[in-house]
Amino acid sequence: MSLHSWFIALGQSSLGHAMQTSKWDFALVEMVHLLALALLGGSVLVVDLRLLGIIFKGESARLIGRDLSRVLIGSLIVMILTGIALLSEEAGKCYYSPAFRWKMALLAAAVLFYFTVHRSALLRTDHGRPTPWARTTALISLTLWLGVGIAGRAIGLL
Amino acid sequence: MTLLQHLCQLLYDSGFGTMIRESDYAYSIIESVHVITITLVVGTIAVLDLRMLGLVLRPISITRIARAVFPLTWSGFVIIFVSGFLLFWAEAAKMYTSPAFRTKLILLALVGLNPLIFHSTVYRRVHQWETLHVSPWRARVAAIASLTLWGGIIVAGRAIAYF
Amino acid sequence: MKSRIALALGLLTCLVAAPAAYAHHSFAAEFDGSKPTRLVGKITRVEWTNPHSYFYVDVIDAKGQVANWGCEGAGPGALSRRGWKKGDLKIGDTIVVDGYRAKDGSNLVDARRVTLPDGRTVYGGSPGDGGPGDNGTDQGALPTAPAK
Repeated sequence: MSLHSWFIALGQSSLGHAMQTSKWDFALVEMVHLLALALLGGSVLVVDLRLLGIIFKGESARLIGRDLSRVLIGSLIVMILTGIALLSEEAGKCYYSPAFRWKMALLAAAVLFYFTVHRSALLRTDHGRPTPWARTTALISLTLWLGVGIAGRAIGLL
Repeated sequence: MTLLQHLCQLLYDSGFGTMIRESDYAYSIIESVHVITITLVVGTIAVLDLRMLGLVLRPISITRIARAVFPLTWSGFVIIFVSGFLLFWAEAAKMYTSPAFRTKLILLALVGLNPLIFHSTVYRRVHQWETLHVSPWRARVAAIASLTLWGGIIVAGRAIAYF
Repeated sequence: MKSRIALALGLLTCLVAAPAAYAHHSFAAEFDGSKPTRLVGKITRVEWTNPHSYFYVDVIDAKGQVANWGCEGAGPGALSRRGWKKGDLKIGDTIVVDGYRAKDGSNLVDARRVTLPDGRTVYGGSPGDGGPGDNGTDQGALPTAPAK
């Protein structure tokens, strides 16, 4: 199944039909998407600012990262689920949209980075002061996630 | 026309407001900054609220978290307020009649009132309870009020497009 | 007398269309994908605004009655990227608008394609959005919408 036909199938699915015909579904789903964004963004910020050594100096980066990972991953899952629903409303347009493609690429990069390099940096930093490598990791993380957000905005504006 | 509506119409008709409203890029950028800054304002204060509810960062004391979070929330609030005001300026006449916008303002007033009450009551004794994994019930009420009101503000803000 | 009634009707539909035009967003919630429409009319008002642009045309039907229709477009940024310019729509010009009708039956369409007096057409859709004229490109195909 080609990528394009997957998008078409999503648009023609019962989810797609529901989102396309309902007056308020898109609005409600989008609102949940925004609420989850607040939590995702907040947890990313707090963890990465610890990794940068700006807040919670001396507190365990490992602990903060692990604890907030529940909020981060939980809100990320909600964003992905609502995102799929939003996508099903305009799958064809998103397939061709450069903003959407950038968003997906940055999202994949952010998630992959989070579970690998970023996790390692939190474990290694722990209670200590961040190394230049840890700070770079935090900056890359913030940039990737910010990029996801900006690209997401661009989908509707281009 | 009431005075307030007249003022809104003046803002709307002004050169500056019109420029933003008819812009190719300015409006979109201002609005994007506004939406993305939600993470800095609501996301960070949510961490403090969740801590008071005993859901995250329990080994860390309340005042420690507040010290970390408040500067972020406040700087975010300045950005979101300025961008919000510019958006309002561009659409002022329409915002005057928008139920969603009025709701958002009311909720904003309440979400500002909440910490005032909190800080003058239970928070004054915070050193007595700040290391508890779950904060006293009055603090928990403030935390739930905060999360609910901010959630409502986000929803009302999005609803401006519909109402 | 008839022209006064027509004018009153035109103004009334204008008032009906205006608030409906603001309560928008999400194409599917607002517009009916199965009701492509072609409007030919004189521009009466242009709002070249964010987040959405609107322009209004007086359409004369077969019986000679005038109805004012609202046409919703993208914001100025998106329109300029598609080759529209603010001055393209001038009050009094006769234009052709191809679009989808609003679901609530009001005199509102989303402007998929506008044919300007000089014959130039500008496309309002996005590649892949499935609306009239969508052929996966950002120029769009000329839609063969039925006349209103």
